[in-house]
Amino acid sequence: MTRGFDFSRLLFAGVALVLALLVVLPIGWLAYYSVTDADGGLTLANFVKLVTEPAMRKPVVITLQIAVFSSLGACVVAVPLAWLVARTDLPLRRTIRALVTASFVTPPFLGAVAWELLAAPNSGLLNQWARWLFGMDDYDYVFDIYTAEGLMFCIGCYTFPYVFTLLANALDNIPADLDDASHILGGGAWVTLRRITLPLILPSILAGTLVAFLQALTIFGTPAILALPAGFHTLTTKIWSLFQVPPQPHLAAAAALPMLLLTLGVLQLQRWLLGRRSYVLVGGKNSPPRRLALGWWSGPALILCLLIMMNPIFLPYGALVKAAIVNNISDSLSWSTLSARHLHFILWEFSGTRDAMVNTMILGVGSASIVTFIALVTGYLAHRQLVPGHRFLPALAMAPIAVPGIVMGVGLFLVYTRPPFMLYGSLSILVLAFVTLEMPAGFQQVQAAMRGLHVELEEASRIFGATRLQALRQITAPLLRTTIIATWSIVFIGVIRELSATILLTTSNTKVISVVIYDLNESGELGAIAVLGLFLLVVTFAIVLTVNRLPILGGRVQR
Amino acid sequence: MASVELQGIRKAYGKLTVADGIDLSIRHGELVCLLGPSGCGKTTTLRLIAGFIAPDAGQILVGGKRLSGPGQAEPPEKRNMSMIFQSYALWPHMTVAENVAYGLKLRRLPSAEVERKVDAMLKVAKLRPLASRYPGELSGGQQQRVALARALAVEPETLLLDEPLSNLDTNLREEMRFEIRRLHDEFRYTTVYVTHDQLEAMTTADRIVVMNAGRIEQIGSPEDIFLRPQSEFVARFIGGTNILRGTASGRTVQAGALAIHWELGEGGEIVSIRPHEIELATTAPDGPNVFPGTVLRHTYIGAQRDYLIDLGDTQIRVVTALEQHFEPGSQVFVRLPPRRCRALVR
Repeated sequence: MTRGFDFSRLLFAGVALVLALLVVLPIGWLAYYSVTDADGGLTLANFVKLVTEPAMRKPVVITLQIAVFSSLGACVVAVPLAWLVARTDLPLRRTIRALVTASFVTPPFLGAVAWELLAAPNSGLLNQWARWLFGMDDYDYVFDIYTAEGLMFCIGCYTFPYVFTLLANALDNIPADLDDASHILGGGAWVTLRRITLPLILPSILAGTLVAFLQALTIFGTPAILALPAGFHTLTTKIWSLFQVPPQPHLAAAAALPMLLLTLGVLQLQRWLLGRRSYVLVGGKNSPPRRLALGWWSGPALILCLLIMMNPIFLPYGALVKAAIVNNISDSLSWSTLSARHLHFILWEFSGTRDAMVNTMILGVGSASIVTFIALVTGYLAHRQLVPGHRFLPALAMAPIAVPGIVMGVGLFLVYTRPPFMLYGSLSILVLAFVTLEMPAGFQQVQAAMRGLHVELEEASRIFGATRLQALRQITAPLLRTTIIATWSIVFIGVIRELSATILLTTSNTKVISVVIYDLNESGELGAIAVLGLFLLVVTFAIVLTVNRLPILGGRVQR
Repeated sequence: MASVELQGIRKAYGKLTVADGIDLSIRHGELVCLLGPSGCGKTTTLRLIAGFIAPDAGQILVGGKRLSGPGQAEPPEKRNMSMIFQSYALWPHMTVAENVAYGLKLRRLPSAEVERKVDAMLKVAKLRPLASRYPGELSGGQQQRVALARALAVEPETLLLDEPLSNLDTNLREEMRFEIRRLHDEFRYTTVYVTHDQLEAMTTADRIVVMNAGRIEQIGSPEDIFLRPQSEFVARFIGGTNILRGTASGRTVQAGALAIHWELGEGGEIVSIRPHEIELATTAPDGPNVFPGTVLRHTYIGAQRDYLIDLGDTQIRVVTALEQHFEPGSQVFVRLPPRRCRALVR
């Protein structure tokens, strides 16, 4: 196309620059800070401190332990659950899938607060029940969530959906013929599961477990709520504490860097694992999978699934609802203890609520719109191969996936608390954080849709006389409408549940709901948290349900 | 090896009946093709034989033993059958040799025996140099041969093939057609072969079963099916034909103004005559079944010419030798030789 000025090249340059700056700037400063001291001189002292000082080394060890065990636990739970849901005639399997999706979108810090309500040593509901049930003394308890084990459990509750989703999709995508071929050659159900199905999904199991590992490694909210009262730090809470008075940004940068490198390494490993899975699927139709008939096993299997879902959903949600509607947290549920006190507090008394809600909405809508726009432009340029160099765009857009929230928080803090960009204390620094962190998720949605959108559809329109822009408007845009809605919603949900980067970048003027919940937890206002948390969940579920029929969040394949 | 007997098989999914009373008996060592358009129930019939699904009514006997009955079926792994899938269904995580060895290992043969049989099978299928490759590294034709080798390695009593060639290109398909027939002549397994390609059925089958809308239209040798179709559907589906309808009186069908004498078939109100059996001339030939017509369309198709002729009430297709050339619009005489006209009841 040689008529005059080529708009797509300018667009390309702009998008590439923005995408590059989003990641390069904070990570560059992070790297610089990690090898300098307060006076700006080059030094390795920060890294030396990291490995020699027990106050720094202990969190590293504990974080690794928690990440390893919680991800293994997530794997052990998710594998049978995914298999039952995807490959057997388990009753209520759609409901189970929906419940997993629900735990997927539940903010982990909210789950942590709910588990405080359930399993705090003294006031925890489960411990109260246990005392009543087993006739134990007043200060005896069965469960203590304020321990490393409790933290592992609570993290696992909200990371197992990552394993489940990858796995359930893999199981859905294994052609039924592969199973049938084993059956006809003499393999029974057990042999087929062991020799065909499991080897085929093994890469997905490993990849999913690695994702759960990364999540556990980089999560801030859950350890901040559960580990700090217990008197120990994880790496993320330690980094956060380095920003409290007196701030030690250089040491924080040095602590964040290994997290970044580990994430990069694990993601590379995961890509290699999934890349080996070269399914050979010659065309031709595949018969729908024959679901294994569970027979009289279906009862026990369903009970197992529901027992698993007790932990991320039924118990925590129940505890939150109860806390929201009784007068005092220790009250038991009855007509006399019902109270709108917490609702009233949140809506009318607590000054932070309204600001936080307004801020959250502004940030959610703003970031979601920006990410959707950039992802669409990037996806379109890359997929239609309109400009030279287009193949670098997806890599740029996907780069932030290797940057954990807390690392991004540290990086942005370092960049934007000094001239020339003094953004700290404004909402725009949070927008920058969210846009960067959510770009990969948004771009993945767009990319998947673009792949399914054959270029011939647009060409057909052009051959009938439409210009490129007309074709874009009349053909491509309507076809991408569901993708746009899905992308926007995913980013929005991601923003309202973000805490790791937010906690470092927020100030008293730019509080958002997740931070308010964290603050309220510090001051022990669990009833108020419950009200706010339920509000957050209602908004989230409303969005998920609206886009329910769109292919998002793994709830897609419903057979 | 075993005979396969289907008796009154019915299968419906909701309101959609996909197999509607199928009676079919397949002899030892016979290769039978189930032929029909998509959705005619041929794949369902194959999957019923394999035991992947159970019939709603009727029964399936293999070697005299009842394996499927209403609502119940011996599972596929207990039938000593083997199947080649349209997608080949090669396991991507196993090498060619492992794929072929799978069924043998399940039969608990000693490993030396497994190795020997796999090697022999790979040799027959010309796959020996590829033994340690993964399916993803093979071409379509090679994958097809692996599927074939894997299915034959277990020496099944019954071999089932579900459109095994539909994913190959034309040349390869032709080659594999003869290959399948050669292997069948060598091993003589009772074979059920599902296809929608009549040429494939003609070249491979001992007998062809033409299916339509869940029912069997006709069973017969390839020659039977082509030369002596018994229904309009079979005549149209196999080879293509002209159909003329009217009222029957003796050996004549009155189709509008045309009185057509026929000498083949059993009588009925439908006359079928294939395009290449019709003669065209500029002057009226003697004898019956000669009608004047106008050339509507002329298509040159290589070794022959294809005409569409308007006969007033109806139009017919005629395929002639290259020398017979008429421009569209010309007046011609059409002769339908009575000994080529077949009367059909349905």
